[in-house]
Amino acid sequence: MNVLEVHNLKKYFATQKAVDGISMNIEEGGIFGLLGPNGAGKTTLLRMITGIFYQDSGEIIFNGKKFNPEKDVANIGYMPEERGLYKKMKIGEQAVYLARLKGLSKADANAKIKTWFQKLEMESWWNKKVEDLSKGMSQKLQFVTTVLHNPKLIILDEPFSGLDPVNANLIKDEIFSLAKNGSTVIFSTHRMEQVEEICNHIVLVNKGKNILDGKIAEIKNSYKENIYSLTADNLPAQGNSNLFDVVNEKQGKLLLKLKANSSPNDILQYFINEKAAIHSFNEVLPSLNEIFIKLVEGTATARQFQNVN
Amino acid sequence: MNKILLILKREYLTRVKKKSFVFTTILFPALYMALIFGTGYLSSSVQKMNIAIVDSSGYFGDSLLAKINANDSTILFTPVKDTSIKSHFRKAGYDGYIIIPPIDWQTGRKNIKFITDKTHGAGTESMIENKLNIIWSEVVNEKLGIDNEKKTVLNTSNISIKEENQENKNANSAVSSTIGYVCGFLIYFILLIYGSQVMMGVMEEKTNRIAEVVVSSVKPFQLMLGKIIGISLVALTQFFIWIACIFLVYTVGKMMGSESAVASAIVAGIQKSFASVNLPLILGCFAFYFMGGFFFYSSLYAAIGSAINEDVREAQSLSFPITLLIIFAIFMMSVAIRDPNGPIAVWGSIIPFTSPIVMMARLPFGVPGTVPAWQLILSMALLVIGFLCTTWLAAKIYRTGILMYGKKPTWKEMLKWALRK
Repeated sequence: MNVLEVHNLKKYFATQKAVDGISMNIEEGGIFGLLGPNGAGKTTLLRMITGIFYQDSGEIIFNGKKFNPEKDVANIGYMPEERGLYKKMKIGEQAVYLARLKGLSKADANAKIKTWFQKLEMESWWNKKVEDLSKGMSQKLQFVTTVLHNPKLIILDEPFSGLDPVNANLIKDEIFSLAKNGSTVIFSTHRMEQVEEICNHIVLVNKGKNILDGKIAEIKNSYKENIYSLTADNLPAQGNSNLFDVVNEKQGKLLLKLKANSSPNDILQYFINEKAAIHSFNEVLPSLNEIFIKLVEGTATARQFQNVN
Repeated sequence: MNKILLILKREYLTRVKKKSFVFTTILFPALYMALIFGTGYLSSSVQKMNIAIVDSSGYFGDSLLAKINANDSTILFTPVKDTSIKSHFRKAGYDGYIIIPPIDWQTGRKNIKFITDKTHGAGTESMIENKLNIIWSEVVNEKLGIDNEKKTVLNTSNISIKEENQENKNANSAVSSTIGYVCGFLIYFILLIYGSQVMMGVMEEKTNRIAEVVVSSVKPFQLMLGKIIGISLVALTQFFIWIACIFLVYTVGKMMGSESAVASAIVAGIQKSFASVNLPLILGCFAFYFMGGFFFYSSLYAAIGSAINEDVREAQSLSFPITLLIIFAIFMMSVAIRDPNGPIAVWGSIIPFTSPIVMMARLPFGVPGTVPAWQLILSMALLVIGFLCTTWLAAKIYRTGILMYGKKPTWKEMLKWALRK
């Protein structure tokens, strides 16, 4: 079942087609990556999904029904890229306040915050003020306030920026366990290595349109270029072969591109015949980073102002 | 609705718990009193002067000068015979000198020169003139043969008038003016002080980037309304404390009344002022115009706050036109108090931009004596319509502005935000 469906969503600003006909489906319980270069329209898209903006046209289906911001925001947790908290407010009070705005009762909010604070070792923070926290600490607090009310859909915009590796791992584990417990996570970023590690499904957005949509493994498969890596001792001297081209050679490691009519088995056979001592042989799939760059490359690096009419 | 309640509770509590709230609540009346009594004291303490009088008319004799000096010594007239005083009056200890030329007693004389070495104000000039005229009238009286008995008649026999409004026999224009002034000024201060608090609060949420988090839970309109209502309640709390203090002084004064003359004077004063006006009407209208005016202006301040970025100077330059309107209202108020039936007073108290202040200044003069019922009803209705309009407009600007970073928007852009669907 899809927890969120977006159909041909559009939002134009005065000088910008920020979101220009995006459609996507997000399955329940998955971790979903929303990728795109700066200014691709990610934040605008997320703001429509969270009910902050109204779309110009198109449809948002949340949980099988037409998205109704007033009611549905209680089931959404949104952590915007630009973090924000009341600096002068005590941390405990602030977490309770934000939770109650999401519709939790006071007692419920208190109990949930206590558990989360324990889990993330933040108990001693309760009576401190936000201005006393470091950037990473307030990031953690922000994460807690986002997921506190057990939302069905959690939207995280660059959740790891400003976190050290230890705390980043801590948050990452929490994201996994939230997904395991049935929440759906939308994860917006332009850090590809994190996406590969965390997400199972991605949408790539550029210039307000989605240009790529699918499971990571499938996407990688569809962008593969039949490149294999082989490490071996006693490699034969490489002449021209009708089986493969050598892309790169480095101290017992070959990067080969297969020709159209050859299979990996043919290659292995060839090297075995040549008496090479093979250590490893595997297919090299393109990284998301490479796919990303390939798809986005050639379009202007910054979005240009355009006339909307 | 529940969410607005949560927001206003936070806005209210964080402000009331602040030390600065306690401070201003106590300090404001103290400063206000200091201002009133302080200026009174300063204006009453006039510098003493010593002026040499060189008389060549023969009328300003030593005995007359001595007599007048005995009555009032702030300006001392010292008879001097030697005209060489001209060159060294400062050294001789005089602030200036007057050489009185020969005068015809029937016509008097204009523009007698008062020579000094620094310029004194018009006030000093007229004081010296008055004092000289007291002496001169003695001279003239004597010439005309008016004795002391006739003089007393001349001085005491006169006619005075007192206004009585047939619609409202109790009306007392002095008390009405005072109450009008106090009400108008209170609303003026509240609009300026708490209006800018609304603006700063919105700015804080925007620059802290908490706004985006909050508007993903509540509608921007709810956030804005919660803030405005919360802050208006802070202002009301402050009022309540002040009124409670006055009441406390009143009751304590009443109990001590028999023993202390000062206390009983205060009690009598309060009783007298309140007896001459329709107190429930004034208080009710005050609450109405305070709330109406506050919503009217603070929603505009909220819109401004949402449109600007961190820069305080931007805030000042964008909010200046609104502040100017409030200051304009206080000018209209001072006209309205002098002439509560004049066209400026009437129109000023009907148009919502100025009505909270101007109408409050007119109301103590009496309804329906000075303010006909239709004017009051029209003014209230227009204020309600006015604040609905400004809140609606502000909400639209706010909705866009609160998430808009970057350059300062122009008035034209803000108007566009407001008029967009």
